[in-house]
Amino acid sequence: MRVSYEWLKSMVDLPQDPQDLVREFVRTGTEVESVERVGAEITGVVTSQVLEKVPHPNSDHMYVCKMDVGSHNVDEDGNPVPLQVVCGAQNFEQGDKTVTALVGATLPGGVKIKKGKLRGIESLGMNCSSRELGLDDDHSGIMILPKDAPVGVDFLEWRGLTDTVIDCEITPNRPDCLSMLGMATEVSAMLDEDVHAELPSIAEESADAGRTADLVDVTIDDPSLCPRYTARVVRNVKIGPSPEWLARRVMAAGSRPINNVVDVTNYVMYLTGQPLHAFDLGKLSERDGKRHIVVRAAREGESIVTLDGQERDLTPDMAVITDDGRTPVALAGVMGGQNSEIDEGTVDVLLESASFEKGHISRTSRNLDLMSEASIRYERQVDTARCADVSNIAAALFEACCGAQVCEGMVDEYPVPALPATIKLRPDRVRALCGAPIQTSFMAQRLRRLGCQVSEGEGEHDPMTVVAPTNRHDLTREIDLVEEVLRLWGEGDVEPTLPAARNHAGGLSVEQRRTRKICATLRSAGLSETSTYNFADPRDLERLGMPERGKGIPVKILHPLVADQGEMRRDMIPGLLRSVAYNKDHGVQNVHLYELGRVFFGHEGKSQPDEPTYVAGVMSGRWADDAWNKKYANLDFYDAKGVVETLLEALRITKVRFRVADPDEYPWLQPGRAAEVLAQGELLGWVGNIHPRALGNFGIDDPVVAFELSEAPLLRLAQDELPYQEVPTLPGVKIDLALVVDESMSYEQVSQRIRSAGGKLLASVELFDVYRDEKRVGAGKKSMAFSLEYRAADHTLSSEEVERAHNKLVTKVIKSTGGEVRG
Amino acid sequence: MAMSDDLNAIQEQVDQMLKGAKSLEDLERVRVQALGKKGSITTIMHMMGKVPPEERPTMGKLANTVRANVQAAIEQRKVQLAREAMERRFSAEEADVTLPGRRLSPGTQHLVNQIREEIEDIFCGLGYTVEDGPFVETTYYNFTALNAPEDHPSRSAKDTFYVEDNAPEGKEAHVLGESDVLLRTQTSGVQVHVMEEKKPPIYMICPGTVFRPDTPDANHLPQFTQVEGLVVDEGITFGDLKGTLDYFTREIFGKDRATRYRPHFFPFTEPSCEVDVSCGVCHGEGCRFCKGTGWLEILGCGMVDPNVFGYVGIDPEKYSGFAFGIGVERVAALRYDLPDLRMLMTGDMRFLRQF
Repeated sequence: MRVSYEWLKSMVDLPQDPQDLVREFVRTGTEVESVERVGAEITGVVTSQVLEKVPHPNSDHMYVCKMDVGSHNVDEDGNPVPLQVVCGAQNFEQGDKTVTALVGATLPGGVKIKKGKLRGIESLGMNCSSRELGLDDDHSGIMILPKDAPVGVDFLEWRGLTDTVIDCEITPNRPDCLSMLGMATEVSAMLDEDVHAELPSIAEESADAGRTADLVDVTIDDPSLCPRYTARVVRNVKIGPSPEWLARRVMAAGSRPINNVVDVTNYVMYLTGQPLHAFDLGKLSERDGKRHIVVRAAREGESIVTLDGQERDLTPDMAVITDDGRTPVALAGVMGGQNSEIDEGTVDVLLESASFEKGHISRTSRNLDLMSEASIRYERQVDTARCADVSNIAAALFEACCGAQVCEGMVDEYPVPALPATIKLRPDRVRALCGAPIQTSFMAQRLRRLGCQVSEGEGEHDPMTVVAPTNRHDLTREIDLVEEVLRLWGEGDVEPTLPAARNHAGGLSVEQRRTRKICATLRSAGLSETSTYNFADPRDLERLGMPERGKGIPVKILHPLVADQGEMRRDMIPGLLRSVAYNKDHGVQNVHLYELGRVFFGHEGKSQPDEPTYVAGVMSGRWADDAWNKKYANLDFYDAKGVVETLLEALRITKVRFRVADPDEYPWLQPGRAAEVLAQGELLGWVGNIHPRALGNFGIDDPVVAFELSEAPLLRLAQDELPYQEVPTLPGVKIDLALVVDESMSYEQVSQRIRSAGGKLLASVELFDVYRDEKRVGAGKKSMAFSLEYRAADHTLSSEEVERAHNKLVTKVIKSTGGEVRG
Repeated sequence: MAMSDDLNAIQEQVDQMLKGAKSLEDLERVRVQALGKKGSITTIMHMMGKVPPEERPTMGKLANTVRANVQAAIEQRKVQLAREAMERRFSAEEADVTLPGRRLSPGTQHLVNQIREEIEDIFCGLGYTVEDGPFVETTYYNFTALNAPEDHPSRSAKDTFYVEDNAPEGKEAHVLGESDVLLRTQTSGVQVHVMEEKKPPIYMICPGTVFRPDTPDANHLPQFTQVEGLVVDEGITFGDLKGTLDYFTREIFGKDRATRYRPHFFPFTEPSCEVDVSCGVCHGEGCRFCKGTGWLEILGCGMVDPNVFGYVGIDPEKYSGFAFGIGVERVAALRYDLPDLRMLMTGDMRFLRQF
């Protein structure tokens, strides 16, 4: 909402400096987007008089003029001398007062006036038309000022054309502030000043022009679409440019002046917040000597060409104004129809001042993607109670500015008159909710300023009865008044306190602490946390080669910003692979990322999807580039597995197993480099090398190892403590054992067999080497070297004891593994 | 007095040999020569029997003195040699301390989550719980129960990502492009879930991902992070809201920062306001960073609207409360003067590892 300081000042006393008002706006809740000086861009334009007018010797239409510009042009002694200006206008005579832009002047649009020669004659300025000064569209000649105009003074100042426009952002609950009158009321409450607005009134309702009711009737088909419709007829309008004051105010409010009829409707809308529409009465069809306005829901298949020239397809949710129920002539509350538009030939005008239901207007505007000054106000609700008053203001201006005759009366269809809200306000409640010592008298006074009728109780604590003004739909409950009082009193002045929070304790839950631990462990293992979009490309799973099985149906976004973010992700890996590709494309080779986030599994017949949390990681390149004293290998399967093992150990999850992942079930992983992660028999997720085919689909050339785990079982199986284990006090005995076994024997199988063969004395089994050599070990075989530690809890083992136990173990293991001891 | 001469000669000889001893092995040789079973001093000690009895005490004393001296000299030389050996080792092992150390490279936490955890910790310190809710939400929880009227502009598909409703039967028709299911545009809906499930007193925050159809640019992301807060208790005042948010602001931005409360409008709170923090660059004077205003907008808040209590069956005469919403990316951008929010979403290691 653009608020003209000069216009506002005509209705309520304002501080000298607009910045003081801006501060008050901000303090009381009106956001200020910008403050703009109007006229500031025009400089060096002065009033002048034509002293001499001589035809230009080299032109048949130009004149060489001597202009009196007062002290703006002086001789060496400082005495005013006439200024020579070449002028092409035809509408002036010697002695006329006009407006001259001096050399160095700036005109709207940044036009600079320079010294120049026109057909050989020097010109030291320019006489201006009102269009050149940005006042209106008149370019028929230079401006002729009244005979009593002073000469040689700043034109803008003399005409009072300087102004400040404060552009305010109006929140959706305050449509009353989308009008200058509403703004004046708001400011009066803010500054505790009176409003003194004088509104135009009709001078004479003309009997010759007839009664509106004889010329028009109005039918509202469905009052839920249109609570009130007033129609008024004015006749014999003389379409032409608006008077300058009107044009200026319309411009200050942000519209271009068009013609006096349109400008009046716009002006009154800016003044009152009530959108008006003017129909060319002559373009509406006549039946029984009358025009018949019917407001009804649009019909399926109906359309209208709106004023902007667009053909709009209508739906039954939209309201239309129709000519006798047949042709739509306006899209109610949004935009008029081209078929009834005011034009140069318009003689009689039917003026609509109506109220339309805001929901329909809002949906219509959204569905047609069509916003107008009218729809912005209607969708926030207009003051139904004042439609008729506003119509009268407009009629008065048609009379004053368009030479119109105003027909007697109006047609006012208003089936259910709107009642103002009556609210009980308890001053103690205000003070209790605000935590501030606001005086009861302050409440009453400022609410009155806002246009409320207030009946106070006897004492400071007695409730008051407040009747809200009809343009404040946001004031229906006590709390609404609390807000008004508090913002005017000053939120900044309320003393800050902290709640007592009796009988309440907070803090993170066990699960939340465990989630933090998951992330902290992954970071300490070397992975950095990232965040990717929860949106997915519908082709992501296919590209990765990941089956949809178990992932429900996609959650599809109805209007995605881009097609490759058309649904919600069902897996974390595609987004992470995109991050790997991004890094590689930007020359970053070493990538280690994890993300903890949600995936979305939709289900037929359920509105909302399941949203399990996954934790996933991707690793590519090395942990770091080689340093002078530290070398790094390329990250492989065992690095990823190591991260997962570290994580599970940190969470103290026991009975962890890694099982070969079946390539048919894990087609996005490289066969032979893929494992399922289990704990206590429950599948937690997987770890493995991403299949090169999938990497290719994501534009990655280098190997990537990854893991993905469901968070829920991690949180469930995690333990905050494990039982204490006795720290050994007696020495153990370590013996190495190198076993040659078939390649098909897994570490898990061999180590299990050693453990089960070990008996009570075997304290630990650690693998320290895996060795393959066709000559020394044999084809299809591998040597696995273990360090075994024997220990008894209650005595120091003798060498005989150890030997006995070890020999027994070796015999059993050779038997159970089919291997042999490597010498 | 031959024996005493011998002893003195031995003493001198040992001193000479010790000077020449360059290692512990040399030293051991000297010890054996002098004090070993067949060593010179031992030999003399054995000869003590042949010394006339009247001289024995003098000779014995002298011999003992020489032995003690020799022992001490060897010990002293030993210490000296050990020190020299250590010095040689130190000099051999001298390091260029300016060479880089062998570093571990733990990963870093995403900037947004760092700030989110910081906010969680601040409010946990004030006794709040941390709550959670679905990202794919119904219009009821995202709008209706938060007092946003049916036709509120924020419900439009321009401001909300609607998703296909997989259970559309029996529901009313909608404006084109809208449905009953959406990606939550605010974490405020969690308020409603919590108030449905718990009785006051409620002191909670809900940090989480939210979505709005803004094309990504330097200042916007279609997916971002919000921390919603809610307090419902007896006797909660607007002053409590201010005290809480003043505390939060100082914890997160610094003790020297001021706050400003500007009345505003949100459907689910009344009175509502926006909170600004004084600019950390110019301290309120006005600069490029704060666009000349001296203030930076950081959050929206207000007293819980009684209508919201109505939806969840809490008596607004008995209880009052406040709610607030903080944009985490906004805090990150303010704190680090980030030139482009999109960096938060690329996974660029060079960006992530800075924080």
